Amino acid sequence: MIKNHRPKFETKVLEHQNIKTPRHQDIKTPRHLTLQKNLLFSLGILSAAVIAFQLALMQILSFVQWHHFAYMVISVALLGFGAAGAALAIFRKWLMKRFEWLPPLLMILAGLAMALAVGISQTAALRFDSYLLFAKPAHAWRLLAAYLLFFIPFFLSALAIGMVFVRFAGQIGTLYFANLLGSGAGSLAALGLIRIYFPGELPAVIAIFPLISGMLLISRARRGLLAAAALFATGIIAFRIVSPPQLALSEFKSLSKTLNLPQARILLEKTGPHGVIQVVSSPAIRYAPGLSLNYRGLVPVSKAIFINGNWGGAVRSRARTDTSDVLDFTGAALPHAMRPRERVLALCGAAGGEIGQALAAGARQITVAEPNSALLSILRNELAGELDSLLDHPAVRVRNLEPRTFLMADTAAYDLVLLPMVGEFGGAAGLYALQEQYLFTREAFREMRRRLTPEGVIAVSCWMDYPLRNPLKLLAALAEALEAEGIADPENHIAAVRSWATITFAVKSTPLDAGEIARIGDFCAAMGFDPALLPGVSAEQRERFNRLQNRQFFEYLDEILSPEREKLYAEYDFNLRPPGDDRPYFSQFLRWKSLPHLRGLFGEQALPFFEIGYLLAALTLLQITVIALALIILPLFFRSQGVLDRAGGGFRQKNGRPGRRLLRTGNKLRIFFYFSGIGLGYMFVEIVFIQRFILYFGSPVYAAAAAIASLLVCSGAGSYLSARLPSLRRALIGVPGGIMALLLVYAVVLTPALRATIALPAGIKLLLALLFIAPLGFFMGMPFPLGLRRFREEFSGLTAGGEDEVPWAWGINGCVSVVSAALAAIVAVELGFTWVMIFAAAGYGVTLLAGWKDIG
Amino acid sequence: MVNRITRFIIFLIVFSCTGDPGKGQDAAAKTDNDPYQKQRYRMVAQQIESRGVSEGAVLNALRAVKRHLFVPAGEVENAYQDSPLPIGYGQTISQPYIVAYMTEVIEPKPHHKVLEIGTGSGYQAAVLAEIVDSVFTIEILPELGNSAAERLKNLGYENTEVRVADGYFGWEERAPFDAIVVTAAAEFVPPPLIEQLKDGGKMVIPIGAPFRTQMLMLVEKKGGKVTTASLFPVRFVPFRRE
Repeated sequence: MIKNHRPKFETKVLEHQNIKTPRHQDIKTPRHLTLQKNLLFSLGILSAAVIAFQLALMQILSFVQWHHFAYMVISVALLGFGAAGAALAIFRKWLMKRFEWLPPLLMILAGLAMALAVGISQTAALRFDSYLLFAKPAHAWRLLAAYLLFFIPFFLSALAIGMVFVRFAGQIGTLYFANLLGSGAGSLAALGLIRIYFPGELPAVIAIFPLISGMLLISRARRGLLAAAALFATGIIAFRIVSPPQLALSEFKSLSKTLNLPQARILLEKTGPHGVIQVVSSPAIRYAPGLSLNYRGLVPVSKAIFINGNWGGAVRSRARTDTSDVLDFTGAALPHAMRPRERVLALCGAAGGEIGQALAAGARQITVAEPNSALLSILRNELAGELDSLLDHPAVRVRNLEPRTFLMADTAAYDLVLLPMVGEFGGAAGLYALQEQYLFTREAFREMRRRLTPEGVIAVSCWMDYPLRNPLKLLAALAEALEAEGIADPENHIAAVRSWATITFAVKSTPLDAGEIARIGDFCAAMGFDPALLPGVSAEQRERFNRLQNRQFFEYLDEILSPEREKLYAEYDFNLRPPGDDRPYFSQFLRWKSLPHLRGLFGEQALPFFEIGYLLAALTLLQITVIALALIILPLFFRSQGVLDRAGGGFRQKNGRPGRRLLRTGNKLRIFFYFSGIGLGYMFVEIVFIQRFILYFGSPVYAAAAAIASLLVCSGAGSYLSARLPSLRRALIGVPGGIMALLLVYAVVLTPALRATIALPAGIKLLLALLFIAPLGFFMGMPFPLGLRRFREEFSGLTAGGEDEVPWAWGINGCVSVVSAALAAIVAVELGFTWVMIFAAAGYGVTLLAGWKDIG
Repeated sequence: MVNRITRFIIFLIVFSCTGDPGKGQDAAAKTDNDPYQKQRYRMVAQQIESRGVSEGAVLNALRAVKRHLFVPAGEVENAYQDSPLPIGYGQTISQPYIVAYMTEVIEPKPHHKVLEIGTGSGYQAAVLAEIVDSVFTIEILPELGNSAAERLKNLGYENTEVRVADGYFGWEERAPFDAIVVTAAAEFVPPPLIEQLKDGGKMVIPIGAPFRTQMLMLVEKKGGKVTTASLFPVRFVPFRRE
């Protein structure tokens, strides 16, 4: 009877798969409950909203807190899916009895939750702060509350999606396709929305989509309730669109502190994929990093730029009279003191200070590579007056490109390559430990060296920190880059000048000559700076003006430039090994094995002050693992009967009732490993592509959107076509095996392929990204539906259409994905992306083995 | 079913049984006259003396100033912990040891005139006021500056004067100073402060914000020449193990 209501393609799929009609479809089913286009459409919209909300949360948390919470968002989203799977496993009967009206209600509620969750999490009682997580235990609970608040919309959405999956288990391929296609579209939609709406406005705008998806499915059943819910949700969402919640930044972020200054006000703000840009003015904002103590002039008042609440630079123009020559009394003046620089390349230095300084020092051509288009727009338009239109100066050429992309595309030679300052004043406490910083890798410095004229220098300044980390790792990266370029004596090519708080490195392709060495000495004497590295420098000269309590700093510097470098890497309490493109985490210094030593030196409470970001990532992994395990264990607790149990074989008597069967451990484990392997493999691949694409596209949000969209769309296609594979046996071996082989090939060829094409226009790169991902993504969409088929067929006769194992498999897959998202970040930091890829292959290997047993 | 429910309840209990480790306070240390005196003495002994601060006047000042009166109401019970505490507006009251160390480093004498940049809640000013002749302190945030002025006045620190202003310019009318304590870290040392420091005077500045590892910098002015010395709060820490 039901087949009469189904579209033709569905009947074909069912026939092709030789799947029995689900038992509850024997009862009369209203037409709206069949797998119709509006249901698929609704599913697609909801899936799009879920991904868009995920990306919006990443933007919001990067704004109010720091970047490392991006991984938490991915985990929380996946946790919602895992928990929904568990809920379906436990309450399947209760839920499915209400299928006529519950999914649309869940969708409407998901929209409501999306609109409200962020606002509630920002209330004074629930707001958490990264810095206080270890200092004030209440904030750990607040973080948990945030977890739960963000979890709700994902859970409600996933439950609705899951119910549809269960109800139409026989057409899982089609549904999975709609789900993944929608998700892919959602990530692209999020990119568009992020350009238009500020982070606080995004959730309510995105909430419209689940609302629509729910309203599309309203039928006669409980129409009054659903209409009332939809009306209420519409009202709340509309209110939130008109009156978005005020996002409260961590009070320890630079912007928060600056806004506390007298008469501080935000002059203008713009949003974009690189985050929120805000320009602040106050008569108390002055900026002169590491200013010489011999400077007696006025430090000028500047306007300040903040990106996602973090310091983004001071707006300063050389042409203004009140700016005098303050920058000439900082380390930034070192390269100009060495010799005149005609051709200058400023990487990410659009805000003006160094450009003006270079112009004043006689530069004839200055090229600026700045990836942030919104920032460029502000500097060229709203702040053009402040900058005296510096970016439109005839000698200045601005390229809106990621610096690495620019370096690979450009062939010009420069007398000076300027980099942004490394680190933060006083250290960043590891808050950027998980942030990919491709500008400070060995490969990046090698590319910069190749752009130098024979007398040209790379100039980079760094805040001195305590314990010493940033200057040492920066020098290590510079030295290793030079050696990789065939320069065996880096000590003759690197000069370093230290003020009371900063150190500036100047790196040459050719050895420093006597004239340059003398001029550096003169510069130091005039500024009250000390040469930390300079051919022929004496121990006394190194501390003439600025004494160090720990003179081992100089020993470390010398050792990094000697063949003994590896020994220092091995023995130092912090990770000094320079980052490469495979592990681009410059700011990750934590070494787990040093923790007991550091705890002994500084005490338990001080420990998080070193490397809070990475510790948070580890804690997130721990928390999430416990919760994810609970979500897998829970169904086992409650499902003492059902298809899996019966499939386990062997009747037993329980509570005097016949027909119960024990769940055989072997089968449990096989299903667990099969879907765990997929969960781990898929997430690891996704995270690798996101991280790889950050360099490729130059923006984390673009990278996430491109990787997620391509992967999901291709997986959707693979999932859809998996139902047409003629031989399940071959597919179960061939598909995971093929994915493993592809992953191993990717581990070798992906990096060179991306490097070879990085300089192409963005549109072509987007197309190439899709091409890179397509074969892998296509096959990666298959194992999940194939597994369902495989286990359903194995237990045929015991199952009634496969609706029982869907939530179970989905729950396992979701929960392992949750753990994998957090784990992948840690594996990437510890071992590099190549290993993440290899582990992904291993995950699919587990899937292959678990699905292989007794095939045929 | 009962069995299932029991298991679920056990499960919930297991997953909810994590306590709040930060609540334990030593109520026994309180006495009727000065409920926090014991905690304060213990703070000096365990957090300050044990780390090498030995100047008697500094230790006495730390024992005398009631730190719990300089923290927000919600932080009173944490006032004598070995950590900085938030006082609002993104500002903090420094860790007791940092206050002691910065005070010792400038070698304060009873006849000294000291300038402080960054009054905060007024705790550092009060500690200095216990030792030196006069303390001039500048706070840029009016809310903090005004409440600190009132607090110091109420506590009888007549030798302190609070000004709400931008610390960049120092306090020219009261210059020169024997010592300057900058409690608010800055990316540069304001040139007017160097001008207002007496020849032979000392200035101490923290490098690094609270809740991060802090280093201190001592600026000395002798014969017109300005030199600095970095000082680690933990005297010598080997980060390398062989």
